[in-house]
Amino acid sequence: MKIARSLFTGGLLAYTGLFFAFIYIPLVVIAVYSFNANPVNMMTWTGFTTEWYAQVLGFKTKVSESALYIESTGQLLQAVWNSLVIAASTTAIATVFGTAIAIALHRFEFVGQRFYRVVMFMPMLMPDIVLGIALLIFFVNSGIKLGLTTIIIGQCTFLISYVFIVVSARLAGMDRTLEHASADLGANEWMTFRRVVLPQLFPAIVGGALLAFIISMDDLVITYFIAGVDVTTLPMFIFSMLRRGIKPEINAIAVMMLTFSFVVASLGLYLRSRQK
Amino acid sequence: MSIASRRRFQLALLLGPVSAFLAIFFLGPLAIMIVTSFLAPGLYGGVEWTFYPHNFGRILGFADPMFEDFDPIYIAIFLNSIEIAALTVLATLLVCYPAAFCIARLSERWKNFCLFLITLPFFTSLIVRLFVWVLILRQTGLVNEVLLSSGLIERPLDLIYTKGAIILGMTYVFIPFMFMPVYASVEKLDWTLVRASLDLGAGPVRTFWRVILPLTAPGIAGGAVIVFIPALGNFVVPAVLGGAKVMMFGNLIEQQFLAARNWPFGAALAMMVMSVMLIMMVAHVVLSGRRSATAALAR
Repeated sequence: MKIARSLFTGGLLAYTGLFFAFIYIPLVVIAVYSFNANPVNMMTWTGFTTEWYAQVLGFKTKVSESALYIESTGQLLQAVWNSLVIAASTTAIATVFGTAIAIALHRFEFVGQRFYRVVMFMPMLMPDIVLGIALLIFFVNSGIKLGLTTIIIGQCTFLISYVFIVVSARLAGMDRTLEHASADLGANEWMTFRRVVLPQLFPAIVGGALLAFIISMDDLVITYFIAGVDVTTLPMFIFSMLRRGIKPEINAIAVMMLTFSFVVASLGLYLRSRQK
Repeated sequence: MSIASRRRFQLALLLGPVSAFLAIFFLGPLAIMIVTSFLAPGLYGGVEWTFYPHNFGRILGFADPMFEDFDPIYIAIFLNSIEIAALTVLATLLVCYPAAFCIARLSERWKNFCLFLITLPFFTSLIVRLFVWVLILRQTGLVNEVLLSSGLIERPLDLIYTKGAIILGMTYVFIPFMFMPVYASVEKLDWTLVRASLDLGAGPVRTFWRVILPLTAPGIAGGAVIVFIPALGNFVVPAVLGGAKVMMFGNLIEQQFLAARNWPFGAALAMMVMSVMLIMMVAHVVLSGRRSATAALAR
């Protein structure tokens, strides 16, 4: 019985090891092979190089920007820039709006609170494609030209929910006696909000904003439908590359994107988890 | 100003702009999409403002007077997508369920670290995570290279552009969605009940089926819903790992908007996905309501 039990525990541990291997080994593989010098077959190791990174970062331009590939480094950098502009704008808007809804739902009593909660959870459950085409039909019918503006508006509709959820969690766990103390000691409402509520809320707001930024940078489906013909974002750029043919630079881009999201998301998750 | 009216003013200030934004750019578009699904497609893209229920008939295979004869192709793609989504749910569950038990019994520190490692991929680019699988699975990919050079196979295997590749890709992407709800119910599991069952003579297998599984069922059901819905409407995974060979409902919707330019039909297809989502959510609420009702009665 005891042996069977320890066998079982060992098996479970091994399984969990495999579970994490399944999640992370593919990411390690791409990180390793992004340094592979082989320009034709990326999975046959021929030597170590940092050429692809240099190329992406614009330090080196190959003389023969081979005709096989349609996308150029210039287009790539434009896509990165577009993604950053979109992410910065959507994060600013979604953070303000999401925090406002969270505060309203936690600090005020009003009719329709349930409705707001449902609306906040809808984008989480709805398949992206549904929101994507709904927005496409809407923008085209209302005559707004598809481009950066429509992407920013469209992404905000679901990013508000992410910020809302993070900030709400913090508000729900907050100690209200401090606010009462502040009011008892004569601070007015605005003062209490600015000096007591906001500092406590701040980590959650920053955490929510970081997550919104990352999700905006990574969004493909909704952006894909409402981007129009002139604007390309980084995920769209990679998506179209995958459909046509892969060049080694994409490995380097992928690894850089992974590193960037790991850092930002870790910071966001850390801020979210820091409850007390 | 009285306190009540000042509070009302503050609330309006907080909620006014965001409510207007969401009404115009979130609820508005969804309503317009519903309306569009009942309109006739224009001859050169766009819509005609006449009531036209044939979009839905066409999905079910009935003849659309404007297009074709009876053709169950769409319902076949729909059922195929349901099958892939269901298999994805099953695969994520098999991957996550045992791991949840192991992680739930770790010390607080390790537990949090593991949960962090599982959530992290959710925030990394979906397209990058799928790209990795292209590199691994394609004809000249890692698996084929290793097998070829070791002499185990002579010709590269067809791994990519198959149903299996799609399910693998989806499983990889949706792990965090399944893990979190399953883990939540596993962590809450009352182990005294398990011990009681074993003490009273039930074997480990029987204890699992009669005690552990029913107690963790809410988490499994929750995970199943939030994996199934996005898997059903997904078009990126089949586009990248299924190529042109395996089509899912999401690809069909994309085609209607970006290639065929039959928007009302595309909207009707999206409505099908939405209705499956609503059915699943209602079923989930009803079932979990009944479960908690029986639990209350049993007490």
